[in-house]
Amino acid sequence: MSVLSKLKEALVCLRAGRVTLPYPAQPRPVPPRFRGRPIFDAAKCIGCAGCANNCPAREILVFDVCQEIRILKYLGRRCTYCGRCADVCPEKAITMSHEFENATNQIGDIQQTLELFMSTCQRCGRCFKEPSPLEQLKLKGYRFDDLAHDRWVFRSQAYLTRETAADDVNIDLD
Amino acid sequence: MVARERLTQLKQRFGPAIQRADLPAEDRLFVFVDADAVRDVCRHVFRELDARYVITVGADDRPYSGTYLVAHNFAFDRDHVLVSVLTHVPPEQPALDSISDVVPAANWAEREMRDLVGIEPVGHSYPKRLVLPDAWPEGVHPLRKDFAMNQVPEGLDDTREFAFDEPPPGCTVVPFGPFHPTLDEPAHFRLYLEGERVRGCEYRGFMAHRGIEKLAESVMTYNDIPMLAERICGICGCVHNVAYAQAVESAAALRTPPRAEYIRTILLEIERLHSHLLWTGLACHIVGFDTLFMQCFRIREPVMWIAEKISGNRKTYALCLIGGVRWDITPALKTELLGVVDTLDREWRPVVAAVSRDKNIQKRTRGVGVADKTLVKNAGLVGPVARASGVAIDCRRDHPYAAYDRLQFDVVTADDADVWSRLMVRMHEVFEATRIIRQCLDRMEPGPLQLPIHDELPAGRMGLSSVEAPRGESHHFVITGENNRPRRWRVRAPTYQNLQGIPAMIKDQQLADMTISLGSIDPCFSCTDRLETVDLRTGAARVWTEAELKQLARHTS
Repeated sequence: MSVLSKLKEALVCLRAGRVTLPYPAQPRPVPPRFRGRPIFDAAKCIGCAGCANNCPAREILVFDVCQEIRILKYLGRRCTYCGRCADVCPEKAITMSHEFENATNQIGDIQQTLELFMSTCQRCGRCFKEPSPLEQLKLKGYRFDDLAHDRWVFRSQAYLTRETAADDVNIDLD
Repeated sequence: MVARERLTQLKQRFGPAIQRADLPAEDRLFVFVDADAVRDVCRHVFRELDARYVITVGADDRPYSGTYLVAHNFAFDRDHVLVSVLTHVPPEQPALDSISDVVPAANWAEREMRDLVGIEPVGHSYPKRLVLPDAWPEGVHPLRKDFAMNQVPEGLDDTREFAFDEPPPGCTVVPFGPFHPTLDEPAHFRLYLEGERVRGCEYRGFMAHRGIEKLAESVMTYNDIPMLAERICGICGCVHNVAYAQAVESAAALRTPPRAEYIRTILLEIERLHSHLLWTGLACHIVGFDTLFMQCFRIREPVMWIAEKISGNRKTYALCLIGGVRWDITPALKTELLGVVDTLDREWRPVVAAVSRDKNIQKRTRGVGVADKTLVKNAGLVGPVARASGVAIDCRRDHPYAAYDRLQFDVVTADDADVWSRLMVRMHEVFEATRIIRQCLDRMEPGPLQLPIHDELPAGRMGLSSVEAPRGESHHFVITGENNRPRRWRVRAPTYQNLQGIPAMIKDQQLADMTISLGSIDPCFSCTDRLETVDLRTGAARVWTEAELKQLARHTS
């Protein structure tokens, strides 16, 4: 019966009542696990660059100004808020905050730059112990990112001799 | 072991043409055959052995084996086996007999292989460009290994126009899309009309090129790709995320811990719930019944919230890594999730009861967009479209993954093969999904979430994975590689096959039924278009000059 089904449908609507939330006047609180904008804590960061090497969107750059100073820059442009950086950070220096209203005209509002005084191992240059081989970056060379143009750059012997940095790809070399 | 039986059958029939075979697991079979025998083998598998066609994958294997590699994947649904028929194609003349005359469903996949890898399907009945943008020069194939990820090919010609086919005599041409009120994503159908009747159409898609597969094969690593895979689709992202992880796990023979499997199952079913509720709403919206559209979205919202509580995001769950999952379901979340599915069941039942009798919806959907069993077989239709035609295929039962082999559920089918049947199938699958979630929560035992991985993944292994997305089977094919990333990763979203059935489904119908027919496959164009390369310059926005568009593209990217 069509009329009956229309009545039933009307009942479904009436039972529901008002469901619209008063956003944006009153934002709904987010759950504890919510993954918002990542916040980097320079005091805790040891500059291992584990986050930079495991960022799927390649949004975290590393640049060594000199032996003692490392710059870590979070770009915040195409960050997907997956939270992998916070996962792999051995010092829990990254927290996924509850901020989600991040629309801005100034990308600098979202970006973070950390200047870190380094006293890492002089032999390996990094202290991040990857928990699994899947979290290692299997490229010949080291990170030497282009902060002015926000690009990942690999420097390596391979680059100097005009070989490709990996076996199957020409990495975006400067 | 059925896979071995199938192999024996093939060996008896084709003898020396079968070069070698791998049986890495009970439910996977890789057969390497001679290039001249591939068409016969595929016909035998598809017609006599009655397998379902899944996808054809072309891969540039020259750096490793010195040849190109072509895989025709089939599924034996009743036997629970996925088969890949592989052929090495010599690098000097990359060409292989087309199988699309014996397996019509291979039409697009072979054209895509021709565009992207440059392997010519010899004897293809309609070898028109499918995937690459119109401006792209001939003879440049972006998925070849000697083509860099960020390369712009020489001879890119922005002025080149798409060559439309000649419409049949006596027909008017009506464009449908790329921007249309009932299309949420770009696709262009050029409909041939005789009065109000649709006599045929030409499809022009692949407008949302994002270069996902190339990106994965060139710069990302195994554990990065799940986050990329998830962004193939805005609705069934978790499906791609799980399917990719499973394909790699199947290639590297990794076994995920049971708790992780249950959590994957739960999140997949949560995704099915929200997708089916969304689709029902949209279907009602398309036929002009916006009240129910609103109610479906209201009922759906708590599902989004519980997903956010479990995973930290409403839609992009970022769930899987290779060998496990990232989010646990705590006892508090378990209680809450149970509450959500109970409420959902309670609220959904009256909606189903009301809609099942609604004459207006029936008038718009009964006998519309019919896909009979022959079409399902020939076009390789999957998911609710196949099930609504009485073809009971469901990867959760036929090719069990995650925890589905330990759960009880029914495969919902209907017989009328029209849009109405698809609506009914989807509405009732919601109850199966809540049933599965309850079973998972009940049976889940405490345990680790992540398999510890101590060794690098072996290179050169192949993995297949089929996951039942809300709109049908999502199939991922992976060849593992060096440098902590796969050599080849091929995604076949369900819409890729289902869209190929559309011309037959809309033929001789009223123009007004076009939208709901198309809507009834729950099309997801970005899933289908997931492929290849950066080009904003062709087509649509003609008021922009090329230079302005480039400027815009660079500024916003």
